[in-house]
Amino acid sequence: MAGGIATVPGERQIASGKGVTAVLRAVGRVVWRDLRSYNSLTGNNFFLFVLLLAQQLTASLFFVLILGLLLLFPLSADPLAKVPSERLEAWPIDRRGRVILRLGSMLLSPAAWITIAIVAKTSSVATGAAFLALAVCAQTISVLSARLVARAPAWDLLRWIPRFPGQWGGLVSKDLRQMLRVLDFYLALLLTVSGILYRLLSRQPDPEAFPILAIMVVLALSTYGQCLFGLDWPQGWIRYRLLPLRGWQVLLAKDAAFLLLTMVLVVWLDPLAGFAAALGALATGHHAAVYTPVPQKRWRFTGGTLLPTGLIQAVVMFGVGVGARRQGWIYLVPDVAVYLLSVVFYGRKFDEISAQE
Amino acid sequence: MIECQNLVRDFGEFRAVAGVSFQIPRGTICALLGPNGAGKSTIVKMLTGLLPPTAGTISVAGLDPAKDALALKKICGILPEGLGLFDDLTIEEHIALSGPIYSLSARETSARGDQLLRLLDLEHGRHTFLSECSHGMRKKTSLALALLHNPRVLFLDEPFEGVDPVTSKTIRDLLAVIAGRGITVFLTSHMLSIIDRLAGQILMLRKGRIVWNSEISEVGQPLEDLYFDLVEPPRTEDLEWLGA
Repeated sequence: MAGGIATVPGERQIASGKGVTAVLRAVGRVVWRDLRSYNSLTGNNFFLFVLLLAQQLTASLFFVLILGLLLLFPLSADPLAKVPSERLEAWPIDRRGRVILRLGSMLLSPAAWITIAIVAKTSSVATGAAFLALAVCAQTISVLSARLVARAPAWDLLRWIPRFPGQWGGLVSKDLRQMLRVLDFYLALLLTVSGILYRLLSRQPDPEAFPILAIMVVLALSTYGQCLFGLDWPQGWIRYRLLPLRGWQVLLAKDAAFLLLTMVLVVWLDPLAGFAAALGALATGHHAAVYTPVPQKRWRFTGGTLLPTGLIQAVVMFGVGVGARRQGWIYLVPDVAVYLLSVVFYGRKFDEISAQE
Repeated sequence: MIECQNLVRDFGEFRAVAGVSFQIPRGTICALLGPNGAGKSTIVKMLTGLLPPTAGTISVAGLDPAKDALALKKICGILPEGLGLFDDLTIEEHIALSGPIYSLSARETSARGDQLLRLLDLEHGRHTFLSECSHGMRKKTSLALALLHNPRVLFLDEPFEGVDPVTSKTIRDLLAVIAGRGITVFLTSHMLSIIDRLAGQILMLRKGRIVWNSEISEVGQPLEDLYFDLVEPPRTEDLEWLGA
């Protein structure tokens, strides 16, 4: 396929006419469908928090910026990459057609629409150009890291997750890796880093701020607690049903990964409040995780149910987190007891549902 | 070893499996044949406890999938229709995850895993994430997981589809050997030429009903001819625009 042009004798080449338009239309349709996957953010507990804060624009601005920054990576992806490369190469499109396709696909990028919207809203080309530059940077980082990982798989940081011992150790490692493949973790990481910077750089950091920060880190991860099987769906769910494990064992392995990651993030802020909040998030998330597993997409925010599950999770997290901070370790005893009851109860429900499908 | 009586499965108004009964003795390779949508995978799911029957009884190695699900899972090796794999794990990690769950030691898991990966020609891709594997590699990984814990009964949903000829022959030979050692194999397939040489018992399914159940020696004509006669004749239509 020299120059990307079909070489089959007598084959009609798709020049820059209807064929290219058809391809662009298909790419546009795929981009549009893909945009729906960003709706998951509206079912994320942290979104609820930002929404509540939105009454005070200055208070919510920091969180909106963090969310926007994280979303920029998937939003700036090349729309033409959604066409399988073999298919793209197989189509008899001439050089001119390919140029049109490349330029046309750029206009289909959500990053381009946002740039246009920014210019229209602010009447400032410089602001639009700055946003576009940021999107290009995000895309460059994504592409370069993907290429690096393809060439040298050892550079894939997700491969560095250790293999945990024990009967379910492999499941814990797998769940940890899954958690690192949703944006929730990176939001929580940015919050942790912000908290650490506040502790280090502030002259007189308010000690009351750290339990709240720790609970917010858990809040950023908490939607995952109600979508524990989201990234397993559907084939991993089948594997879970084939394995000779009880439901409570499956839930415990998943929760172990959640708690482990949470503790790594909150240990710098307030481990006690963070741990208590994480147990609360899991105990209240099990119901949705087992009864209504919502399929999730990688490199998006986890999308669960805000009402009532997300709201209950948030209230419980803040309640037990602040309670543990004020009352001390003793407050963890009922927290752990309720959590274990939840594991046993919803483990049984998992077994029942597994046998009924 | 496997027995079911008057097995029925309804999906709403649609009856996918309509009163199926059969017995498969220990150490037999039984092939369930039928067109797409005939109910083959539904039967496999019911036998393995993944789907409860609407009516009828099932016994696998003396266990009822509905009542003894956990005990049954321990002695069964299953290659499910959708393969049931985790996209976030490599081939090797799937093996490492499964072994301990079936109470294999780390050394045993590693040794058996190495042998299976070598046999199924998966060694070169052992560090590849399943999301990046070809369909054939995924199928072979799922088969390796079905075999790893030395099951007494194997349920294989279309084990030969999408697999290269050498691996297909390897799987065939392996199944023949393990059946000789007393492992019962229940498989579904569209590869009639392979089944003709491999299976000891043939079940043919048409619209959820068994239309043929016999030992292979009783078939008496090429399996393909019997299939076309009983299950579905081949369709012919001249697409005159092709090559015009």
